[in-house]
Amino acid sequence: MQINRDMNILVVDDFSTMRRIVKNLLKELGFSKFDEADDGATAWPMIQSGKYDFIVSDWNMPEMTGIELLRRVRADAQLKDTPFLLITAEAKRSQILEAAQAGVDGYIVKPFTAATLNEKIQKIFERVAQRQQA
Amino acid sequence: MTQASQNNPQLVLAKDLVKALESGDQATARVLTQQLAAQDDKSMYEEVSSLTRDLHQTLDELDHLPLLMQTKHDIPDAAERLQYVLDTVEEASNKTLTSAENSLALIEQIMGQNPSSDIAVALQKLQDELNNIMLAQSFQDLTGQVLNRVILIISSLEQSLIALIQDAGHDYNAIPDKPKSEQELEKGIGPNVTRESKKDALASQDDVDDLLSDLGI
Repeated sequence: MQINRDMNILVVDDFSTMRRIVKNLLKELGFSKFDEADDGATAWPMIQSGKYDFIVSDWNMPEMTGIELLRRVRADAQLKDTPFLLITAEAKRSQILEAAQAGVDGYIVKPFTAATLNEKIQKIFERVAQRQQA
Repeated sequence: MTQASQNNPQLVLAKDLVKALESGDQATARVLTQQLAAQDDKSMYEEVSSLTRDLHQTLDELDHLPLLMQTKHDIPDAAERLQYVLDTVEEASNKTLTSAENSLALIEQIMGQNPSSDIAVALQKLQDELNNIMLAQSFQDLTGQVLNRVILIISSLEQSLIALIQDAGHDYNAIPDKPKSEQELEKGIGPNVTRESKKDALASQDDVDDLLSDLGI
């Protein structure tokens, strides 16, 4: 499936090294338009601008967690369909269930590989395409 | 009746209660039940205040001794050292990422000059290796999260101990500074990472060289 490599992506993580790594991996996959946020609280107003086609977020952040950010996105009529990928060290069954319930599109546990990221992104956008056809 | 049971007010009340119940005297039984319950509360209060007294005494005896000194000096020192590890590892990780990014940009530049297919294949492999180096830096995020959590635990332990020390009537601020023993310096204390240990430490090789040259070395 052909993914639009021109999409605007927001990378949210409180660790700057992680944001750099995710951005570089996404670049490697052919994406080029990124913005960064260091917390859910800083990401939320950015997302509300409606600019982003894809959100990649950490879970555990000091002000607003990734799961809270996801809930806000899903609760907003304009933004609710934005694909949302969590990349996190949180790996408890109950947390993954919680994320699924909140409407996450993909869930990657750290540490992860470039192949995993690629695979999840493929899957997410296949599903998005199916949703749009339906 | 033994001496012990005569002196036990709970037992006396309980026996009276049995007597009252047997004779069907409900009013007396109710009063005795309440008194019995009150006895229980009283002994609990006595227990708690004796514990508090013990604690106070223990802390008094510990005056200037390990717990007070550790709370004031060692615990903040440990937290500061962990913060140093967190910051240093992050800095190193960022340097590695910068170098990997710069190298990837160079590879792209060479790729743009139509290299031979052999070189192109080698560059592709090099690119993969650099990406692996980059991805390996994600350990910093994981260890950083762990350190952040431990620092939080240490700080809350510190707060609890300070509260305990002050509840026992000690003036936290009056706990004296920790003497730096010659013996400790002799053994070596490692990198000077805390505010306390940076006192009197030289910041760079240049400073060390300056000092040495002042000494004629």
